Amino acid sequence: MIEARHLCKEFKTPAVKGGRFSGVRTLFSREYRVKEAVRDISFQVLPGEFVGYIGPNGAGKSTTIKMLTGILHPSSGEVRIRGLNPHRERRKAVQQLGVVFGQRSQLWWDLPVKVSYDILAHMYRVPAELKKQRLERFAELLNLPEFWDTPVRKLSLGQRMRADLAAAMLHDPDLLFLDEPTIGLDVHAKQGIREFLRQLNKEYGKTILLTTHDMDDIEQLCSRVMVINHGALSYDGTVAELRERIGLPAVITVTYRGGCQIPVLEQPGPVYRIVSAEGETLRIEADLRAMGVMELIKELGTWGEIADLSIEGPDFEEVVRRFSE
Amino acid sequence: MNSFQTWIHMYLLLIRTTVRSRMQYKFNFVIGSFLAAFIQISEFLMVAIVLARFGGIRGWSIHEVGYLVAVMTLSKTLYRTIADEVHHLEKYLVSGDFDQLLTRPLPVLLALMPQSFRIMIGEVMQGGFILCWSLAGMLQAGSIGWPTVWWTPFIILTGAIILFSIGLATATIGFWTTRISELQTSTEDAARSAAQYPLAIYPKWLASFLLYAIPVGFVNYLPSLYLVKGELGAWVLAVTTAMALVCLAAALRFWQFGITKYQSTGS
Repeated sequence: MIEARHLCKEFKTPAVKGGRFSGVRTLFSREYRVKEAVRDISFQVLPGEFVGYIGPNGAGKSTTIKMLTGILHPSSGEVRIRGLNPHRERRKAVQQLGVVFGQRSQLWWDLPVKVSYDILAHMYRVPAELKKQRLERFAELLNLPEFWDTPVRKLSLGQRMRADLAAAMLHDPDLLFLDEPTIGLDVHAKQGIREFLRQLNKEYGKTILLTTHDMDDIEQLCSRVMVINHGALSYDGTVAELRERIGLPAVITVTYRGGCQIPVLEQPGPVYRIVSAEGETLRIEADLRAMGVMELIKELGTWGEIADLSIEGPDFEEVVRRFSE
Repeated sequence: MNSFQTWIHMYLLLIRTTVRSRMQYKFNFVIGSFLAAFIQISEFLMVAIVLARFGGIRGWSIHEVGYLVAVMTLSKTLYRTIADEVHHLEKYLVSGDFDQLLTRPLPVLLALMPQSFRIMIGEVMQGGFILCWSLAGMLQAGSIGWPTVWWTPFIILTGAIILFSIGLATATIGFWTTRISELQTSTEDAARSAAQYPLAIYPKWLASFLLYAIPVGFVNYLPSLYLVKGELGAWVLAVTTAMALVCLAAALRFWQFGITKYQSTGS
C-alpha cells in the first residue's frame, strides 16, 4: 500500500548574517544551514493496517507525511503509493488517498459545509448518486446534519474535524493520512472521531496512517506503531511490544501525614523508583505490570501514614523521549 | 477536454454559491460595490480635471485617455475575478495551506483558482461607465469607427491574459522568497497605474520598460495606438495577441518550475 525506501529530507535555509545590511546580505548569500529533517527512513504498510506514527515535536513526523502524500519532494529515496510515485504521478496518486491535517481545514471557509462537499465531488469526479450515498453514510456516523448548512468558519473544532474527515473520504480512497486528527478536541469529540476511524478500518478495510500526541489514539486504534526521533525511525512494531519494551511506568504521588521512613531498596530500578521527595510528598515511578496497584499501595502503607495518594497514567511524551534515548 | 469541463462546472458552482452567500448581506454588498465604483471614478475624475484644463496630453484627448484607463480597469477586473487567489498566493505560502492544494488530483493552478471567487461589481461599473463614455465621445468626434468598439472586448481579454501572466510570474517568485506583497506592488499595481496614461508621456527608458520588461503597455497602450489613434497598422492586434500567448506560456513554465522549489512550513 505504502512503500518508503531510504527517505531523506534536508531543508536548506540561508544562514542569517549579522551586522549591517544583514537582510540584503542574507538574500544574496550562498551560505546555507542544512537541517536534516528525515534521515534514511524505510518501511512498508500493508493494506488494512492501522499505523500510528509518533514522536516528539520537530522529530520529522509531518515532513514524512508530506513526502508520502507528494507535497514535498524527498532529497533522496523513493515513495510508492499503490505502486505510484506521488511526485512523478502526483495527480494519479493523490486520487487514491485522503489527507486530513488536524491544524487546518480543507473546506471552503465562507461556504456552507454541504457546498464544500459539492465542490470536492466535482474535483474528484465523484458521480452525484455515489456522493449522495457516501454522504448519507457519513452523516449517520459523524452526525453531520447538525451543521449541514453552517459556514465552515462558524463550526466548533470538533464539528470541523468531523466535516473534514467526511471530506477526505468523499472520493472513497483506500488510504487515509491523518496528521494529528484529535488535536485540541475534548474527550467526547475524540471518542467520536476514533469510533469513525475504527469503522473505516475494520468494516471498510481502509488503510490508515495517523500521527498523534495522544497515547489513547494509539492504544485504541493502532495495530502498529512507528516511532520517529531526530529524523530516524527508532521503533517499528506492535503497540503491545512497544509497551513491553519501555514498560510504561505510572507515576504515583503519595503524601504522608507526619513524614515517612523510606526503606533502603534492595533492588532499586525495575519495579519502582523514587523520582523526588519534597517534604512529606513522594513521587514514585512504578511498573504496574510487575507489581499490582494494591500490592504497591500496601507496600507504600508500611512507610508511613498515607494522607493522599494519586496515580497518573504514563505520560506519552515522556515515554517517547525515554524510548529514543 | 472532459476534465476541463468538470473544472468549469466546479468553478461555476463556486461562483453561484459565493454570490448567494454574499447576497445574504445585501446592504453591505450594494454599498460596497457602489463605494468601490465611486472611489475608482473619483480617481479618474482627478485625471479628467487636469486633462480638461490642458485639453489633453501629448495629443491624447480626454476621451482617449479615458479609453486607456477603462481597458486597463476591465482587464484587471477580468483577471482578478477569475484568478484572484493567484494574487493572494503569499497567504497560502505563509500559512502552509498550499500543502492542501498539492493533495488535489488537479494541476495546482486549477486547484488554487477555485479556492475563492471575488465579485467586483464596483470595478465593472466604473470601467464600463468610463468605457462607454469614452467610446461615445470618440464616435461623436468621428475619430474612431465602429470596428474599434467591436475590437474592445478582445483587447480586454488579451489584456487580462497579460496581467494574469505578470501576476502569476510575480507570485511564483514567492516559492523562493515566501513574501511577495512588496514585489506585487511594483510589478502589478505600480506598473498598471503607470500604464493608465499614454506611455508617450514617459521618458524613453521607462516606456520601453513598461512595454518589454513588464509588458503592461501591451494591455492598453499599444492596441490603442491602432484602435484609437489609427497609427501603426492592424498588425498591432496580431502582435498583442502573440504577446499575450507568449507571456502566458512563459509564466506557466516558470510556475511549473517554481512549484518544484516549494518547501512547505513547519508542521
